[in-house]
Amino acid sequence: MDPLNALLGILFIPLLASLVIVLLGSKRSKAGPLIAIFASIGLLLLTLSLISNEIGEAVRFSWEWFRFGDHTFELGFLFDNISATMLAMIAVVGLFITIFSLGYMSDDQAKGRFFAGLSFFMFSMLGIVLADNLIMVFVFWELVGFSSYMLIGHYFQNEEAKLASKKAFIVNRIGDFGFLLGILLTFWQFGTTNIEAIAMAVGMDASTINTFIGALLICGFIGKSAQFPLHVWLPDAMAGPTPVSALIHAATMVAAGIYLLIRIDVLLAPRILTFIAYLGAFVALFAGFCAYAQNDIKRILAYSTLSQLGYMASIFGLGFPGIALFHLITHAFFKALLFLGAGAVIHACHHEQSIFKMGGLYKKMPTTTVCFIIGTLALCGVYGFSGFYSKDAILIASYGVQVELFYVLVFGALMTAGYMGRLVWTAFFGKANSEKALQAHEVGFNMLLPLIVLAIFSIFVGLNHYWPFALGGTISADLDTIHHMDGYKSIHKLVVILGSTAWILGLLGSLLFYGLGNKEDLLQKRAPSVFAFLKGRLWIDEIYSYYVNKIQRSVSNFLNFFDVVILRGILIRGGSGLVGALGVGLRMLHVGKLNAYSIWFLFALLFIYLVASGTL
Amino acid sequence: MDSQLLFSAIWVPFIFGSSLALIPSKVGSKAYKWISLAGCLWPFLVAWYLFFQFEDGLQGGYQFEFLQSTGLDSLGIYLHLGLNGISLPLFILAATVGLAAIFYALHSHADRIQLYLSLLLIMLSGLMGTFSSIDLFFFYFFHEFALIPSFIMIMIWGGVARYAIALEMTIYLTLGALLSLVGLIALYQQSGADTFSMLALSNALAERPLTETIESNIFALLFFGLGILVSLFPFHSWAPKGYAAAPSSAAMLHAGVLKKFGLYGLLQIAIPLLPMGAFAWSPWLITLGLCNIVIIGLVTMAQKDLKQMISYSSVMHMGYAFLGLATFSVLGAGGVLLLLVAHGLSVALLFMLSTSIYKRFATFDMSEMGGLGKIAPNLSVFFVLAIMASIGLPGFANFLGEFVIFAAIAEHESLRWVLFVSALGIMISAIYGLRSIGNVVFGTPVKCNSEEEVELNDMKMFEKLPALLLLGSLMIIGIFPKLFSDKANRDLMHLYGDQEMVLEEISRSDENQNLND
Repeated sequence: MDPLNALLGILFIPLLASLVIVLLGSKRSKAGPLIAIFASIGLLLLTLSLISNEIGEAVRFSWEWFRFGDHTFELGFLFDNISATMLAMIAVVGLFITIFSLGYMSDDQAKGRFFAGLSFFMFSMLGIVLADNLIMVFVFWELVGFSSYMLIGHYFQNEEAKLASKKAFIVNRIGDFGFLLGILLTFWQFGTTNIEAIAMAVGMDASTINTFIGALLICGFIGKSAQFPLHVWLPDAMAGPTPVSALIHAATMVAAGIYLLIRIDVLLAPRILTFIAYLGAFVALFAGFCAYAQNDIKRILAYSTLSQLGYMASIFGLGFPGIALFHLITHAFFKALLFLGAGAVIHACHHEQSIFKMGGLYKKMPTTTVCFIIGTLALCGVYGFSGFYSKDAILIASYGVQVELFYVLVFGALMTAGYMGRLVWTAFFGKANSEKALQAHEVGFNMLLPLIVLAIFSIFVGLNHYWPFALGGTISADLDTIHHMDGYKSIHKLVVILGSTAWILGLLGSLLFYGLGNKEDLLQKRAPSVFAFLKGRLWIDEIYSYYVNKIQRSVSNFLNFFDVVILRGILIRGGSGLVGALGVGLRMLHVGKLNAYSIWFLFALLFIYLVASGTL
Repeated sequence: MDSQLLFSAIWVPFIFGSSLALIPSKVGSKAYKWISLAGCLWPFLVAWYLFFQFEDGLQGGYQFEFLQSTGLDSLGIYLHLGLNGISLPLFILAATVGLAAIFYALHSHADRIQLYLSLLLIMLSGLMGTFSSIDLFFFYFFHEFALIPSFIMIMIWGGVARYAIALEMTIYLTLGALLSLVGLIALYQQSGADTFSMLALSNALAERPLTETIESNIFALLFFGLGILVSLFPFHSWAPKGYAAAPSSAAMLHAGVLKKFGLYGLLQIAIPLLPMGAFAWSPWLITLGLCNIVIIGLVTMAQKDLKQMISYSSVMHMGYAFLGLATFSVLGAGGVLLLLVAHGLSVALLFMLSTSIYKRFATFDMSEMGGLGKIAPNLSVFFVLAIMASIGLPGFANFLGEFVIFAAIAEHESLRWVLFVSALGIMISAIYGLRSIGNVVFGTPVKCNSEEEVELNDMKMFEKLPALLLLGSLMIIGIFPKLFSDKANRDLMHLYGDQEMVLEEISRSDENQNLND
């Protein structure tokens, strides 16, 4: 197939599906899921045909969008191995999450809205991946934000969903503020926002790199990938349906920030890269700590996503975009698996989300349990699972470049294994801790199939040598770099030993500390102050809500008062009052007596004389 | 032929409107509906027909020119109509919003509906005239022609305190109009041209430029006069009260189209004809424009009444347009043009939807609303999309307008702080926009305890069609901006292309001066 047609098809099939579902309306919303699934299958087939045909060459197309004067704005596709890798991941994960949603959302009243939103999200996400210039990236960037908003707010009658969706959109807008300004300044710096053209310009003259512009651009990444201090929206976003969390808030949209970084790599000055490396490492640890104080299975996974995004950011900042992309891909599969597993558990437990009210699920849901554990092992980086390969690469590379960060990241791996162990031991083993968990039973085949497929991917997707040729060029390049590092063998050995120790310690430690299927959080019981500190999450949310409720609100109320009372009331009304008073005053001068007028006449003469003589 | 059609877009709604006022209301209830529908459909069809007839290959300048003597030849006043790339989009905007507003009014169950429709049609006729006038006298005349019906409509069908508000609005807007009239007459008189034709004026000014002082004085009159009409800070206080009191179709036409008169006057007349005056006043354009965005933006956040919130937000968005004008570039002017059309469509849509929402909740107070998503799913979708359009979601025209204006500001190193402050607007608008969605659409329906009690009360066809028309137009422009930008480009280059060079020279000489100092 002609690559242009295939790319157009890939981008517009989901949009078309979404429009058709909307037009069918609520009465025929049963067709919605089927349309969405057919669209995802079509998308996957087109992607496969594109990947199998293209032999490593980048494909580009671009069109003029509009023009004012001499300034042209364009839309276009850039399809190279980076976008191909992302596209392949999105197509596969998207299809299986859509299939899973069929079962998960089966008793939902607003299926049409859900699947239309899901398809629209796929469209927007693919737009980011295929865009060849930053303005187009921004357009779709905002659109993913919008679809995420609509999907988080799916249960719109719920107060939690209302607040969470609003928060997600506004916090992202804060990031987009900087991103937009960065794009505009880039536009005037290079005369274009075309990604390849910029790379070429920077290649010719490295002095065009501007730290300030880079700092603005990465605001977009900080917002979308939920990095500190704009991370607050992601845990709250778990108020949306679980498949949404899996697709948008784990596998794809939050990874778009990392993808953006990889795309604008050349624009980022060394200082910015260092900043990203430290920021990522900080988030990797910080989110890991936060996860220990969460009881909601989805929120634990959300913090885990945050921390893994921190890993990607950190290794990107250390100069290995390919390894960041590698971890992005493996993470997408195992985190989607974990979320879908959580979804299956929540579905089986009738929307119970607290892990301390589950327990003993392995007996009732064996397949789900096995899949979830596979996801957990992949996340912990256990040898042989996909997460091992990418995390191993991250650790080796960081050891080679910045040893302090290496130790932080290893410690992060220990934390990861710890909170995942806490989750698994509590929710799946021991005895059922609530009526709902007691009545749980294995989910249907249409929900198990995606779990099984994603579990298989979670094991094998790390073997990047076996990927289709069109994918992963950047990844292999970076992996080659670390393989040729000085003392690679000894570093590798050290990393494997430390990494394995980390996950073994984490899983065992959490087993010993929390026990199997416990009813309550033992950390909370034994060390309430530590727990309270972790639960506080550095009180970022509190600081923000203080700002919003106290400062921002009083400023806007004050200005409103100013507007109504001072501007309208006193100035405008007062102005008209002044005119009225002047009228009254002038009327008093016209008393109708000759002598009064003659006195005024003399005054006027005096006045004119003074003016004319220049005294006044 | 085409020029006759252009003229008909003005007189057809006028004739139909006045005949509605004259025929007795007993003559069949259907007749008045058809008459008013025909009266607003005609300009719409003409506008789109002329859009496709408009040749973008030309050198720029007016097409479909229509010239008619009015007996005022000695003063140089002719009924001179025509469209160029800048007025064409606004002409289409007027026709589109007019169709939507009058169609919506047909089903509004207002008292004395015939009179209501008749006034709306007369207003529409004035609007079509304003944006197609080449003669400055008629440009002004048609504006007044459209303004007066809007006062009458507030007086008769307005909400609480309608007399006081209509009076305040009348005085305020007449003051603004008067200032700009003085400005226009001064321009006419100073230019030495013996006609009010914009073309003749610009030719005369090109031959004999005014001195900088005169230009800046005339520009001040036009800037503040027209600024009052566009609710420039701090002359905006008529807008929120006025729109809150106005009946919905009148608010749609006024906020959506009539208000654009002021910015259109600055864009098409004041800045191209008085570049030095505009440049002298540009710090004011920028400062007041920023006040519109930031101060009014924060005031918008404090609103609890849906209609007030929409009114304030529309005041806020005008700030971007002033900033776009202050860049004196083709890009900035193009952004302003896009924003004018986009804002006109979106604010009209929001006013219309707010009335539809009022019908479901019997209040405009957002704290007493909730659960519209359950009560009226389709209306909720429209409302969400309309808010998203107005806060600048890509895919809708508003985004492009704002984006292009930001891009134009970003060009100038010296305006960097303006860029940063004005872009705060995208966060501010997201906050109040999403708050309103949260309060109106989300949550459980008020006054119902269980889900079964909720009575579905979704949009009727007469609400859906105009909403679709407005939303569809926003999306079409947002996705295919070429439709307008290609037609406008030549005129923008013609009016603003030279300015960029002039300004560069001015700033260069300023720099030299600074160096010499």
